[in-house]
Amino acid sequence: MSNDHNHHEESFFRKYIWSTDHKIIGIQYGFTALFFLLVGFSLMMVMRWQLAYPETRIPFVGSIFGDDGILLPEIYNSLGAMHGTIMIFLGIVPLAVGAFGNYLVPLQIGAPDMAFPKLNAASYWSYLVGGLVMMSSFFTEEGAARSGWTSYPPLADIEVGQTIWLIGMIFLITSSLLGSMNIITTIVQLRAPGLTWMRLPFFVWAQLVTSFLLVLAFPPLEAAAVLQLMDRVVGTSFFLPSGLVVSGELMEVSGGGSPLLWQHLFWFLAHPEVYVLILPAMGIVSEVIANNSRKPLWGYNSLVFATIFLGFMSFIVWAHHMFLTGMGTAMSAFFQTTTMIISIPSVIILSALFISLWGASIRFNTPMLFALAFLPMFGIGGLTGLPLGLAAADIYLHDTYYVIGHFHYVVAPGTIFGLFAGIYYWYPKITGRKMNESLGKLHFWPSLLFMNGIFMPMFIQGLAGVSRRLWDGGLEYAHASGVFHWNEFMSISAWLLGLAQIPFILNVFYSIFRGEKVDNNPWESTTLEWSAPSPPLPHVNFETLPTVYRDPYEYSLPGRNRDFTPQSEPKKNK
Amino acid sequence: MKIRIIGTLIIMVLIGVGYAADVKGKITFDGKAPKMKPLRMDADPVCVANSDIKPRKEWLILDENNSIKNVLVFVKESKSGSLADSYDTPKESAVIDQKGCVYVPHVLGIMVGQTLDILNSDGTLHNIHALPKVNKEFNKAMPRSKKQMSVKFDKVEAPFKVKCDVHPWMGAYLGVFDHPYFAVTDDSGAYTISGLPAGKYVIEAWHEKLGTQTADITVDDSGASQDFLFKKPSKKK
Repeated sequence: MSNDHNHHEESFFRKYIWSTDHKIIGIQYGFTALFFLLVGFSLMMVMRWQLAYPETRIPFVGSIFGDDGILLPEIYNSLGAMHGTIMIFLGIVPLAVGAFGNYLVPLQIGAPDMAFPKLNAASYWSYLVGGLVMMSSFFTEEGAARSGWTSYPPLADIEVGQTIWLIGMIFLITSSLLGSMNIITTIVQLRAPGLTWMRLPFFVWAQLVTSFLLVLAFPPLEAAAVLQLMDRVVGTSFFLPSGLVVSGELMEVSGGGSPLLWQHLFWFLAHPEVYVLILPAMGIVSEVIANNSRKPLWGYNSLVFATIFLGFMSFIVWAHHMFLTGMGTAMSAFFQTTTMIISIPSVIILSALFISLWGASIRFNTPMLFALAFLPMFGIGGLTGLPLGLAAADIYLHDTYYVIGHFHYVVAPGTIFGLFAGIYYWYPKITGRKMNESLGKLHFWPSLLFMNGIFMPMFIQGLAGVSRRLWDGGLEYAHASGVFHWNEFMSISAWLLGLAQIPFILNVFYSIFRGEKVDNNPWESTTLEWSAPSPPLPHVNFETLPTVYRDPYEYSLPGRNRDFTPQSEPKKNK
Repeated sequence: MKIRIIGTLIIMVLIGVGYAADVKGKITFDGKAPKMKPLRMDADPVCVANSDIKPRKEWLILDENNSIKNVLVFVKESKSGSLADSYDTPKESAVIDQKGCVYVPHVLGIMVGQTLDILNSDGTLHNIHALPKVNKEFNKAMPRSKKQMSVKFDKVEAPFKVKCDVHPWMGAYLGVFDHPYFAVTDDSGAYTISGLPAGKYVIEAWHEKLGTQTADITVDDSGASQDFLFKKPSKKK
């Protein structure tokens, strides 16, 4: 392919704002998603004040919440619902798929761009509009959504604030659908010559399976969101039953709908969504571990097949979120069986990554530290999920802080650590400079410590039966009195975790200008993106499009003069 | 000149006094007084501790003469065009308190645009959930630390329920009027609508369970009197 595009002068607006270059779109996704992660995290830091010191004035920002400076229950509910929504739909998924997928998939498969560049831009702008719509709800008279990130009817059908949430979700889902179709097409159609399926970096496999999950699971939720919007706006009753009594009053609704239908449609997306959150992080961690252990990934084939199986199984476990709805023991038995089965590929992936470390000469740089921390953190998150997958145990643990601890271990020190590993690892490719190692370690160690400080006590509170979504953290409940004091410990950990992100934010901006300049392949890596210039060339990525001759992780192979052999390096004729 | 002006003013005041009078009456219940069960507040120990007496259900409060408390009596219509087009909104707030985990008062009338101060004298979490059909519904929490909040209603509305979702026995009723001619019966079932200009009116007595009754009255210099007799509504077949 000719590199003529590279010489074509583009205006600033065209180049950096209204761009169709997958790298710019990836960066746009990245910065937007990091901003939203900060917003979502900030909401939680405010909520944690109320949980630790109920009904006392919130320092610094109290005046936002009224003259008393106290977080009232309805605002607490809004912050809780929006925290979940923002972190998942505006933060992690756009960062994991929109940013990393966009930036890296074409580079790792040796393609000049995504298959549909304009669709790619449309995906980002739809995401941004969805995000802005969501955020605008904070400034409306009704306020933001307050029916949980799950938007369960009938509450979500009648409670204020949910209309804008639903409109925002429709934009966000559209964005994800456009993005994931693009990734699938790109991987299928635009792989470099010689890049066979089993030569794909594991990260690309993770993105491929993730994209299939998004494409297949999101449409039912998009349809459901439209139906719920109609329930709220035009008086339909898709999710409202006849004879609905709310607050002791008979609701004037046409009825005949089913609240449980929403739960099925929601979890049909939202359980695969868990794997949408975790698979890209697993992909990133795999790349970082292979590179920094200087060994091929152990069991590459097992990893790939386990991931495909995981993706398939993720579509038939959703109702384990609904054991308490009274759907019957036969249904519960089926879904708890599939849930136990899906833990097998997760264990295969985690085991393969652990075994990959065996006997390695590990480079303990910042990306590797985050990747290494991911393994036990995700392990805790995964293993604590098993009791929730069994109906008998779930009846007790459902809707307690145990659940919150479980999924936050998966998503926060799990996925987010994986994403941090990826940012530190690929930053030199994006900017041509490395991030500062000292600041990186100052980011990592406190983050690891305080993440556990927040989420580990949640298991203790949950096992004591403390419900999630309690505005006062359990203060008024006798059964919570023995574990209430943990709230202060968790809250202080959360605020310190917030402080621990300052070195990261400084590092991102500082290193753009002052980071150590590096060549195209500073980590001595094997995959194709490292054969491109840093940063890769606009629109075409590579000086000349590469051809692939090797497996993705040829590290420390005997008889080689270096401990790594790039995929694009031709094999010598014997 | 001064004497003329003062004389005119005195005459105008006298005329004014003569043309505004009180409507009084008493409302009684015809039938055997039902036995009102005590409220069970055990779910919240703070409620039990804050209640001076053992509270009873409030849907029908009678005295020994079967006089009914908490009936809202108001001018529904003027047949002689005696009501002004608009009335000034009172500067003083109407007040409803959450005390001992019941609403005090149980029935209240306020004017459009008048401030309603909602108090929480209990050291526990209440939420005040208004269920109007015409005005905007609201549902605001009042934790123990929030002792007061204020709301206003923009439109005239027949009495609607206000409730607490934390303590399901708590309920109050609120009517919103565009004139000041309304009153709620006291412990002895008596009411007084003050300062009503002379003329012909339809007044309505509203009770949360016993329904409504209307009466045509004529108000002259000496005012008017109108009693109401409520019966237990027949059970629906």
